[in-house]
Amino acid sequence: MIGLQEVGHRHEQRTPAGHPVPKGEPILELYSLRKNYGAVEALKPATMTFLSGEVHAIVGENGAGKSTLIKLLTGVIARTSGDVLWCGEPVQLATPNEAISRGINAVHQEVVLCPHLSVAANMFLGDEMNRRGLMRKRAMTDAAQGVLDDLGFNLPAGAVLGSLTIGQQQLVATARAAMRGTQFLIFDEPTAYLTRQESEQLFRLIRRLQSEGVTIVYISHRLEEVFELADRVSVLRDGTHVGTRAIGETNEAELIALMINRTIEQIYHKEHFTAGETLVETRGLTGPGFADVSLTVRAGEIVGLYGLIGAGRSEFALGLYGRHRLSAGEVFWQGRKVEIDSERKAMELGIALAPESRRDQGLCLNLPIGLNINLPVFRKLTRGLTINRAEEAANADRQIRDLKIKTPSRRVLASAMSGGNQQKIVIGKWLSHGAKLFIFDEPTVGVDVGTKAEIYRLFARLLEKGAGIILISSYLPEVYELSDRLHVFRQGRLVGSHGYHTASHEEVLAQAIGA
Amino acid sequence: MSVETVESSTGPTPRKGISILFGLTLLGLLLFLWLLLGFATNSFWTPNNISNLLRQGAMTAILAVGQTFVIITAGIDLSVGAVVGFTSVIVAWLLAAGVPLWLALIATLAIGVLIGAFHAFGIVRMGLPPFIITLATLTSLRGIGLLITNGSTISITNEAFTNFSRADFLGVPSLFWMVIVVAVPAYVFLHLSRFGRYLFAVGSNSEAARLSGVNVNRTIYLAYILSSTCAAFVGLLLASRIGIGNATQAEGWELQAIASSVIGGTSLFGAVGSVHGPLLGAFILATINNGANLMNVNSFWQRIITGLLIIVIVYFDQLRRRGER
Ligand SMILES: Nc1ncnc2c1ncn2[C@@H]1O[C@H](COP(=O)(O)OP(=O)(O)OP(=O)(O)O)[C@@H](O)[C@H]1O
Ligand SMILES: [Mg+2]
Repeated sequence: MIGLQEVGHRHEQRTPAGHPVPKGEPILELYSLRKNYGAVEALKPATMTFLSGEVHAIVGENGAGKSTLIKLLTGVIARTSGDVLWCGEPVQLATPNEAISRGINAVHQEVVLCPHLSVAANMFLGDEMNRRGLMRKRAMTDAAQGVLDDLGFNLPAGAVLGSLTIGQQQLVATARAAMRGTQFLIFDEPTAYLTRQESEQLFRLIRRLQSEGVTIVYISHRLEEVFELADRVSVLRDGTHVGTRAIGETNEAELIALMINRTIEQIYHKEHFTAGETLVETRGLTGPGFADVSLTVRAGEIVGLYGLIGAGRSEFALGLYGRHRLSAGEVFWQGRKVEIDSERKAMELGIALAPESRRDQGLCLNLPIGLNINLPVFRKLTRGLTINRAEEAANADRQIRDLKIKTPSRRVLASAMSGGNQQKIVIGKWLSHGAKLFIFDEPTVGVDVGTKAEIYRLFARLLEKGAGIILISSYLPEVYELSDRLHVFRQGRLVGSHGYHTASHEEVLAQAIGA
Repeated sequence: MSVETVESSTGPTPRKGISILFGLTLLGLLLFLWLLLGFATNSFWTPNNISNLLRQGAMTAILAVGQTFVIITAGIDLSVGAVVGFTSVIVAWLLAAGVPLWLALIATLAIGVLIGAFHAFGIVRMGLPPFIITLATLTSLRGIGLLITNGSTISITNEAFTNFSRADFLGVPSLFWMVIVVAVPAYVFLHLSRFGRYLFAVGSNSEAARLSGVNVNRTIYLAYILSSTCAAFVGLLLASRIGIGNATQAEGWELQAIASSVIGGTSLFGAVGSVHGPLLGAFILATINNGANLMNVNSFWQRIITGLLIIVIVYFDQLRRRGER
């Protein structure tokens, strides 16, 4: 037996009977587990078994019910019906605390930590080190730093969480879960916001936890990760568990077919158009987080920006969009020098920005989907004093239909959508705006394979209509396959530019890392 | 009946349906209170009392509508009661100085606009929390008003002005007509125009709104200016009703306005609210006070009952919201 190693202050985990479950035996069994949200059947009765010590992947389309399953297992939401056996004993899993005390932890799709507290305070939240009722802040920071260093994450424990990128926050959430005496750890799309390097760190952590006997559940839309990590994989479709396969006995095509009930030949749909007029040109653009960036975007082309998280790509995009004040450099729009000093100005010129963080920048979560989609275009929908309600409804419904946003109605709140469907709303907002230059910052984060292919087709349609696209992505295959020009960012500077497929993955990566 | 068929033919429309339902529940509650008081007292359904009730509720209702705009942006306006008192002084003072009535009215409303703009300036430019800046004006406006009047009151001799609040139009008190004069444009603004949508968006996530091209600062200016202008308008109505300008009038009305708004389904976290909700909320509160007076309930008890009622109504509203999830 492999003993549990001390990470942070891990408690010994035991079965109710007091013995650890031997490797390969069922540790968590679900019988007809079911969840309804009002009339929505998010999870239809599912019967699944997780074996002790395995890495069990779960895949499925947006809204298939993956996150719902995880929230049920971690006590975040209550089940509608069904049974859960933990180490052979029926359990309620009614509260997050119950799940945690049994050793079930999760890193959720949307980071749910406190942005105003420090990294260390977040890692110890609810489990603080006290001495005579006072918090031992210093000791906690040191301990947290120890855990972060030990995991190989290059993160400061004293920093305020909100000052980190989403990817880094995700790593903090991971570290938090890893040090909590975990026997069963669930990752819900952990790599969505991570760069390749950070993903590598995460994979090393997962393998290490597995070798310590922890059971891992791994949810991802990236099938290559599933094949790299998992021992078994389960597929959900429309809330139904449609099958579980040993990883050696399946392949990508079979998984995709199970997931979406059809096949896809080409995910990275790419059409080449002859580049037209220059839409935007920046010369030596400098602002908060980026310096001396010169690039051009022409009609009909996709300009990709690749780099590690924090390399200044999003900051550049926000600067160009008028969100941040520029300190130096010039912007030319269709050959004319312009000062873009507000978002409105950018929009009026014909620039659209689908921002990086759907939760913080992209969506009004407690408002209806329809309002979110129409927010940039209410001016156009206004006739005289009031909004034309028929057009408003028609525009929202069209985007919902075109992007296949899975919702019964445009009046549903955005917060009730699954992660991938929320991302589609962020994109849908801009499609009716009639912009010439689209900036898509991480557009396919959390989006399933089928929809990804749809979004790439949509890009082609925009290009065809004479638009230009700036595509920011931390997922190299995406920018690599789609970009007509690929710019590499490192520490706020543009450090390399390549034509379509003129450099190898390795060269691009080396430039981004600075090796 | 017909509503149901329409609903089912256009598919599920949870949000709108529920909001209408909640409005109906409040209306039901109001009617229920009226029926109850009709049985419990014999003076409730007298024309005199009804007029009185409508007059009492009218002023809170107008304040509550203005307050709701602010709360939807996830802000709060604590100054409205003080603005009512202050503007009653201003109009009395102007009239006493011989300024023509029409000019005095416009100037008083303009003061309301300025106060709102000052609030927004503090929030947007100086980065002050809405709670703080409006709390600051609450105390200082009362102070300035007392300075102007030297601590006493200014009587209004203009008969045209003071007769207005006592007048009826088509058998309904003119003060109640003023609610309609405010509520109709407010409804158009909040529910039918794009600025209303912007208020909700700013209250929900101002960064997302900004990146969608919404002028967030302007939206905040709009909300606070509307709230203070509604308050100045109520100041005029109050001055007309009591025939004096007095800076200490309307003490605690800001809390009445916030309570009406919240009873009417507005969320203090922002991005949830309507125009009809706070109107109903204001008249529910007015009915409770009126009924308690008629039944000779001790005014101390009135306050306790009002407090409990706020808890109960908002709790049920919360339950309903949670059920949606
Ligand atoms: N709070 C909620 N209220 C109502 N419906 C919800 C809520 N949360 C999720 N749903 C619905 O439940 C279904 C499953 O959602 P879930 O989040 O589990 O999907 P998912 O498989 O994780 O998708 P993704 O890959 O996009 O993250 C979706 O149809 C979604 O709209
Ligand atoms: Mg999910």
